Amino acid sequence: MKIVVAYKWTRDPEEASARPDGTVDWSRAKPGLSTYDPVAIEVARQLAAETGAELIGVTVGDKGVGTPLACKAALGRGLDRVVTVEDGSLADAGRSELAAVLAEVIKHIGDVDLVVTGDSSMDVAAKMVPTVLAGELGWPAVAEVTSVTGKAGELRVGREIPGGAQVLEISGPAVLATSADAAAPRVPGMKDLLAAGKKPVEHLDLAALKVSPQNAVMTVTGRSLPERKVRKGQLIDTADPAQAADELLTALRQAGAL
Amino acid sequence: MTEPVEPDFDVIVIGAGIAGCVTAYQLAQQGRSVLLVERGEEPGSKNLSGGVLYSRGMEQVFPDFLTEAPVERRITRNYINFINGDSSVAVDYRDARLAEPVNAVTVLRAKLDPWLAAKCEEAGALIMPGVRVDRVLTEGTRVVGVQAGDDELRAHVVVAADGVNSFIAQDVGLRKKPPQHHLAVGVKAVVSLPRKTIEDRFTLTGDEGAAVAAVGDCTEGVGGGGFLYTNIDSLSIGIVVRLDDLTAKKKVVTDIFDHFLEHRFIAPYLEGGEMLEYGCHLVAEGGLDMVGDIVMDGMVVVGDAAGLTLNTGLTVRGMDLAVGSAVAAAEAVGAALDQKNTSRATLAAYREKLFASYVGKDMETYAKAPHFLETDRMYKEYGELLADVLYGAFNHDLKPREHLVKVARGSLAHSPLKIMQLVKDGIAGARAL
Ligand SMILES: Cc1cc2nc3c(=O)[nH]c(=O)nc-3n(C[C@H](O)[C@H](O)[C@H](O)COP(=O)(O)OP(=O)(O)OC[C@H]3O[C@@H](n4cnc5c(N)ncnc54)[C@H](O)[C@@H]3O)c2cc1C
Repeated sequence: MKIVVAYKWTRDPEEASARPDGTVDWSRAKPGLSTYDPVAIEVARQLAAETGAELIGVTVGDKGVGTPLACKAALGRGLDRVVTVEDGSLADAGRSELAAVLAEVIKHIGDVDLVVTGDSSMDVAAKMVPTVLAGELGWPAVAEVTSVTGKAGELRVGREIPGGAQVLEISGPAVLATSADAAAPRVPGMKDLLAAGKKPVEHLDLAALKVSPQNAVMTVTGRSLPERKVRKGQLIDTADPAQAADELLTALRQAGAL
Repeated sequence: MTEPVEPDFDVIVIGAGIAGCVTAYQLAQQGRSVLLVERGEEPGSKNLSGGVLYSRGMEQVFPDFLTEAPVERRITRNYINFINGDSSVAVDYRDARLAEPVNAVTVLRAKLDPWLAAKCEEAGALIMPGVRVDRVLTEGTRVVGVQAGDDELRAHVVVAADGVNSFIAQDVGLRKKPPQHHLAVGVKAVVSLPRKTIEDRFTLTGDEGAAVAAVGDCTEGVGGGGFLYTNIDSLSIGIVVRLDDLTAKKKVVTDIFDHFLEHRFIAPYLEGGEMLEYGCHLVAEGGLDMVGDIVMDGMVVVGDAAGLTLNTGLTVRGMDLAVGSAVAAAEAVGAALDQKNTSRATLAAYREKLFASYVGKDMETYAKAPHFLETDRMYKEYGELLADVLYGAFNHDLKPREHLVKVARGSLAHSPLKIMQLVKDGIAGARAL
């Protein structure tokens, strides 16, 4: 069995700042493993440990995603090997484009039984890549996955749905996006990191992958920040607690908060 | 010495700050197998310096340091500012000789440390970020490796480069917890401003830089000082105050920092800027007294961990001393590995080399500085006295002018300072600084 974890090496939005015109200054944001991807790796690692599957990390993106530092950060979490596509042209790639490249990498690896991803990426957080990737591959996509057991062709998948939970059985390959707290990721130890440096890393050339071009070009032409809510600055100032409570209730009702 | 188990590495360095990186780099260059362990997710992510690096030592290790490394500006202007509540007196020292050869540059640790770490990796060292060493492994009197979480790794030599608190050196009994009067606390912020604005405000051209040292009201009379350094398109601003004095005067360090930022003689430099970074860090201030035992069987201690920081009152120096100690340590550790003897006696060559170098010499030269700087008068009355003398000279209030000496005597009579104190401090200062 082969399990692929698609992970993202990207910038942390907590270190970015929005300029007044709505553009974002990323210059001080350091790259790292996207917040929820260690959860995906841990869920996949546990399944791989139970089934003896090979665990392969895949990442595609801008220059930097294939550096030794980036690969070791992922490998240290228990992946057997990593395959990367590192290309400057992917810096501004949209979700569908990234998913199309990922699909080609998964075909290149061959005989993949399962793709696991994180809940959402920390920089974009659109939750779209797993679904589009599944579409490209012609596989089912499941989001909010909390558990995976079984083996290739007989997967039992737990997922959260609004108001409850479900258990699914999936008979073929699938793309699973794990929920944000599906597993507690392990912090890699010295021995893990030592081993990480010795694991194989394969760098693929974007041009050689023959990804079919997108049929439409998408460009961001306008940006704005959410409107700032003006505070009312209303002050309730009275010595009598009962009266203060009354005034607060009235004010909240008037504001439509109650 | 017998070392029964074949270790995983020749050397394990704890801490990828300046001292750790420079030691690891040189040992890797010698062809040793080196592991550099850093608790931060990225080297330098939390490390903090004011930012003036005396760069000659670094150039000995990296000949192209000034052109290759992320340095900000060459310091050609030193501005020493005695700041009072509503007066200030400054010495403005500019000198083209400081630019060629370059003497000091400003750096930002968030850029410099990753550059140093990359150099270590190029030289063949293995870097492990995101790992905190919990303790060193010992056998008898000997350090044989490190432990982090459940994992243990062994080495012929461990280098403790874990910074000012050095829990590692404390843990094995090499150092005691430093007393409060040997410690200061620093707060620093980085404020972004357009390059042109900085060059205009500090009258600089090209990659010239200015270093402002401030004493007096900027720390609300608490022993210590403020600094303001120019980077390419940002300013590094901060204060360093003595921990014991802070406690004694019941002040909060962040309040003092805010007071400094808002001070009428400082605020105009910062106007329109945006705060990018903010951090607090301890500073070792014990001077020579604080450098204790720095060598034992299988281990040496370098940089801040060894107490190698100098506060001369106007500058905090630690980065160049970290480099110097790294050079001495790498030589001594290399020689010990060649002799297959990494006992305390062999590694003691590190201490000898250290004290023969500029690090040890400067630590000895400034040996009396910490004590001198504990004089309260330094932080209040002197600035006011200077301002009063100049006020007498410049304030044309239609009274007949007096000779400057007379003005000075008059000011001194009104100042709480006594002539004897002035003489005493003058002599002590000349001896200490
Ligand atoms: C406010 C302020 C202003 C200063 N201004 C200047 C200045 O202008 N010029 C100057 O030369 N010096 C200045 N200094 C002093 C200078 O910052 C230090 O001397 C210098 O950082 C020492 O370098 P180091 O490598 O020894 O220690 P550090 O830079 O502190 O590095 C120690 C490293 O060890 C890591 N570490 C610690 N414990 C562990 C562990 N258990 N496991 C793994 N890793 C660990 C830390 O994360 C860190 O990366 C200033 C200091 C302060 C606080």
